[in-house]
Amino acid sequence: MTDLERRLTRLGSELHWPETPDVAARVRARLNDAMEPADGADPADVDRRPPLRRARRRLLARAGLRRSLALALVALLVLAGGVFAAVPSVRDSVLEFFGLQGATVERRDELPPAPALHRLELGERTTLERARGELRFEPLVPHAAGSPDHVFLNSQVPGGELALAYRPARGLPEAHSTGLGLLVGEFRGDLLPEYLGKIAGQATSIDRLRVDGRRAIWIEGAPHLFFYRPPDSDFAESDLRLADNVLLLQRGNLLVRLEGGFSRDRAIALARSLE
Amino acid sequence: MEDRPPNEAELVARARGGELDAYEEIVRLHQTIAFRTAWVITRSAADAEEAAQDGFVKAHAALPRFREGAPFRPWLLAIVANEARNRVRGAGRHARLAQRVAEERRPDDAVPSPEAALLDSEQRALLLAAIERLPKPAREAIACRYLLDLSEEETAAALDCPRGTVKSRLARALDRLRLELAEAEA
Repeated sequence: MTDLERRLTRLGSELHWPETPDVAARVRARLNDAMEPADGADPADVDRRPPLRRARRRLLARAGLRRSLALALVALLVLAGGVFAAVPSVRDSVLEFFGLQGATVERRDELPPAPALHRLELGERTTLERARGELRFEPLVPHAAGSPDHVFLNSQVPGGELALAYRPARGLPEAHSTGLGLLVGEFRGDLLPEYLGKIAGQATSIDRLRVDGRRAIWIEGAPHLFFYRPPDSDFAESDLRLADNVLLLQRGNLLVRLEGGFSRDRAIALARSLE
Repeated sequence: MEDRPPNEAELVARARGGELDAYEEIVRLHQTIAFRTAWVITRSAADAEEAAQDGFVKAHAALPRFREGAPFRPWLLAIVANEARNRVRGAGRHARLAQRVAEERRPDDAVPSPEAALLDSEQRALLLAAIERLPKPAREAIACRYLLDLSEEETAAALDCPRGTVKSRLARALDRLRLELAEAEA
């Protein structure tokens, strides 16, 4: 070993590395969680596979649940658009993958052509009070943005889908993709075992983060595309639409989506005000 | 019967049999090096923690595919480092190595050893600054091989490249560091 190599090794021992978190306890908790029987499972329907295989199965099942959460949220925002014509091309030139457990976000050299913007299809106009009576979850409102200007309910989806629309205002600049200051989407996704994908170009930043300990993904910068794969199809990506900055946040069995032209800090503040 | 700590091969065998206690012990053995390796790649403690957690969970799921008798740490670091690469953010928000040098001498260095004296604060700063100026692949190779003290095999696994590539990256990086330090110290 040369003198420089010795100096480098010594330097490594003198660095203040970030404190190592208790990864073992958290991994153990996740594996325990994966091995527990599902709520309401029939005791007679005991999985007799070895524990490790059972754990893997549960982990995969939970990944599928997260896919369903993500898909359901995207379905809330689907436009009356056509099938994504460039299906083969979207599978080319993938530069990076980002995981959202079941969902994937892919970064590519360049985005495939996107359809023109259409009117958002968010469901039936309603009020928060009426929606509360039909939804199978307690709706969350980002109080930092005040009361929504419009409330939409899509009761075709199991559990119901809620959309809260806010006009552009101070701190909520108009988003090109929606024409709104803030669009909030919420619903339970545990009934739609589907698959969500996102495609982002080089100019889009994708960060995994936690908001008050809850898993979240922040997508910022150039617009990105959504696509999904129906569960019974080999590969049938459907184009949904372009989206502006988006914060995806998991709140228990809800997935909450905040979209707008605002900053990451503003999105986090909005997420923290959800009650 | 003598009560001795189980070796890693025993732990892996028990974990493959479904013993979560054994796997938890494996994680404890490797969590620091896994977390630091992820940090070298992401330069974010939060991302490194997630990468380490997800990497260990995925490694657990992949245990049936782990080749019995093979070294465990390179295999594990490859999985964790891959998770870390998936979380690499855009430029400009990473912690810098130079910000993480010990500000004070540690108590046990109160009387500097010859090596400690060699690495005085000015030289450390020069060396860290020179490392930061290296291209990313070379910087990560230096960080893994020397700062983390990984073996060549482990460095190759963490960086997802052949050992020959690690050797050549290290050789070029060391040459460049020597040149920069010589210029700075001239």
